[in-house]
Amino acid sequence: MTLFDLDKAMNKLKSRGFDEYATELSSSRIEQVRFSRNSKDLYNIWDNSTLVIFASRGKRTVTTSVKDPGRLDSSIELLWELAGKIPENPSFVGINPEPQESYRVEKLAGIDYDLQDLSQEIVNSSLEAGAERAAGLLYNRANTVEVRTKYNQCTYTTGGLEVVIRSFKGNDTGQEGRHFGLKEKVDAGKISEIGCQSAEPLSLPTVRVELNPGKYDVLMSPYVIGNLMSYSSSFLSYYSVETGLSCFSESMNKKVSSSTFTLVDDPIDSMGVGYRACDDEATSTGLNVLIENGILRNYMHSFSTSVHAGTRTTGNAGILTPGAWQLKILPGAESAAKMISELDEGILINNCWYTRYQDYRNAIFSTVPRDGAFYVKNGEIQGSVTGIRISDSIPNVLSGITGISRETKNVKWWEEIAASNMPYILSEKIGITKSF
Amino acid sequence: MDGDLIHKILDYASSRSKFAEARYMDLVVNQVGFRNGEFQGLNFGSEHGYAVRVVNRSISMAYSDSNDWNRVKESIDRAIEKSNFEGKNRIYEGNPIKDTWKVKASKKLEDYSIEDRVAIVRENDAAMESSGAAVRVNSMVDKQINQLYVNSTGSEIRGEISRLFYFYLVGVVESGEFEQSTEQFGSSSGFEYIEKLDLRDRIEQDINELHQSAAAPRINPGKFDIIVGPEISGIVAHESCGHPTEYDRIIGREGAQAGESFLTGKEFPLRIGSPVVNVVDDPTMDGSFGFYKYDDEGIPSRKRYLYKKGETNEFILNRESAAQLGIESNAGGRSSSWNLEPLARMSTTYIEPGDYKFDDLFDGVRRGVYIKSFTEWNIDDIRFNEKYVGKEAYLITDGDISGRVRRPTIETNTIKFYSSVDAIGNDLQFSAGMCGKGDPEQGVDVWMGGPHMRLREVYLQ
Repeated sequence: MTLFDLDKAMNKLKSRGFDEYATELSSSRIEQVRFSRNSKDLYNIWDNSTLVIFASRGKRTVTTSVKDPGRLDSSIELLWELAGKIPENPSFVGINPEPQESYRVEKLAGIDYDLQDLSQEIVNSSLEAGAERAAGLLYNRANTVEVRTKYNQCTYTTGGLEVVIRSFKGNDTGQEGRHFGLKEKVDAGKISEIGCQSAEPLSLPTVRVELNPGKYDVLMSPYVIGNLMSYSSSFLSYYSVETGLSCFSESMNKKVSSSTFTLVDDPIDSMGVGYRACDDEATSTGLNVLIENGILRNYMHSFSTSVHAGTRTTGNAGILTPGAWQLKILPGAESAAKMISELDEGILINNCWYTRYQDYRNAIFSTVPRDGAFYVKNGEIQGSVTGIRISDSIPNVLSGITGISRETKNVKWWEEIAASNMPYILSEKIGITKSF
Repeated sequence: MDGDLIHKILDYASSRSKFAEARYMDLVVNQVGFRNGEFQGLNFGSEHGYAVRVVNRSISMAYSDSNDWNRVKESIDRAIEKSNFEGKNRIYEGNPIKDTWKVKASKKLEDYSIEDRVAIVRENDAAMESSGAAVRVNSMVDKQINQLYVNSTGSEIRGEISRLFYFYLVGVVESGEFEQSTEQFGSSSGFEYIEKLDLRDRIEQDINELHQSAAAPRINPGKFDIIVGPEISGIVAHESCGHPTEYDRIIGREGAQAGESFLTGKEFPLRIGSPVVNVVDDPTMDGSFGFYKYDDEGIPSRKRYLYKKGETNEFILNRESAAQLGIESNAGGRSSSWNLEPLARMSTTYIEPGDYKFDDLFDGVRRGVYIKSFTEWNIDDIRFNEKYVGKEAYLITDGDISGRVRRPTIETNTIKFYSSVDAIGNDLQFSAGMCGKGDPEQGVDVWMGGPHMRLREVYLQ
């Protein structure tokens, strides 16, 4: 429920004389249960409405957020005044003027879940699978978004259920972080099962294996590759290319990865919480093939960046800074189990975090494994390894891919993994460093 | 400041709970930026709303940005209903406090025009260009926070906070090699902070160093005596002392997000390192980015020794984790917005300075590396296995700097790092950061700092 009158806002922006303008009203109701050490810490409920206004006087661009409908007129007056005092923004070309013929708006509504019960069931599932204790959270979100521009308008509802659970046994951990869009209600048994899955690494051999730093074949779980894709997706934004901070600059239609690798942005899949029917300038979203069989086929664009690049917008605005909505790596043919069984020597890594770059332009990074890293020899897990990092570059990880699993998961976790759908990935000759 | 409903909210929630509190926050933010010489537009906005916490059989919070009582009441009713289900429900209540406080600012944010803000950022972009930078990103954010906190014990505290944050990223290409630097500056004050920073000089110096570092040779891996600069002392204090001593982490509250702590399950005091090491977290430092007189749970702030003489000493506590420990909160409860729960957080975390002059640290270093600043860093989720990649670094031979080296890397653990420290300089310096934690993730404004320090026999890669 919101008290904002968007017709009034649009009329005011027009009558005030702005050349281009867009409004995005987001009204959300969110519930969350957080738990640790097997019991509830906190129940949270949010009731939010925010109106974001983007407007331009020529190339002078201003953006503001408004919470109080009573401040709408004064906020627009202030926008006008400030827009007259700032320099031009040469990057801004305009808001997409092309009439959008249709939007892939799914008829979605909020779904009731009893988060209190689900949280206890998922904890019990983890404990029954061998965990000593569990921590995590569940979110249930319903967010109605109404985007209007001078040229187009679109309203859609997104959100869904998010489940994060981490299982602990001694110093060992396992974790799952999954998301389910509003397309259909998820069965309680399926949600509960995630608790059990999070405890699976706890049953793997725990004998510690000491590894020397060096190059190893690494089998990355959907969480590991999901993390790396989340932290590197901005390199595929044309904004980063223009800034000079992308490892994919000047790579259009060139080989940037193994030929088995295809990466798409798929915001129209409402089975995930990354679903959205339009971008921030009301451009209809669609499947954007970024890397196809190893070849860079497209960047992520807003209308402005697409004009700079001489192409069409991909529906990824951020009006000034395009970005990904819901990345997917297309699945391969093999099972993850078979990929392990066929691995002569390598490391299976279940999760990672704290990915940081020392060189954005060449995408040189390191990331810290967590929730289980295991040494594999002759197709069998020999034991766990600790104190290591993946220390390499994104181009090297992508070009080294030799296997992609047929299983994929809808993964999302905290700020570490944006909503995405990821398989297991085997990449060869990956740099592994360790603490001394 | 609005927030007219706050007493009605508190009365309603208190009558239905064992403990209740309400917080109204009004947050006004301005942001301007330049990228490679191009102005990136102005962002500004106002955020405001209520956070209500109720404690019964468990703890619940409701967040609403509405001024419509019926709508706010609906969320509170839901929170109260859920708080009657089983869960953890201990909370430190403390004594009632009534007070008003504000950050000192001689050049108030509201007196600075948008043209003044743009001019600052434009000048720094120009300095980058004239110094030969290939990539230039500058951003400045200022925010004014007005907050009113009330609770069922009778506390009522009004706070006014103004903060400034400056971020830049610069990249150079030298002989085909790319080298980058990101720096952050922040303060709880007015625009006098930015004026005194001499940012232009700092940027020009940074770019000059990057050009030289890009062309420098790598080291051969091995053990070295190392001297680390204040920037590295600061990040180490933050990552491997501040975070692991947040008591909510120790008891698993952040287990599925930022993680637990290597201190989980240990007996205290626990020896962490050399007896010369003291690490402090102090929210009372005037002008510091993490300054506050009261935390966001209405507890008066004070200085805390986290590691003292190389051992654990005190933990960072909010109301919830203090109750779990059975002691008073020490005012670590911070929330970065009206719609986020207060968690146990750092403020200004630093390694306490020692007696050594900078030059004296080099005495007796036969084969060493001076790592003045860092670029990439990370640490595992129990805050033990950590990595710092040098940005500006030099070889030391027989006590003298003998040439520059590129990206020397410390990859070690917390105990080894602090145990290797044998001398601490007297030149305390601070840098700013945004510290992330919680779900939804919330970044709080912090300083981190320390002096130059000497460490013996550290493996570098």
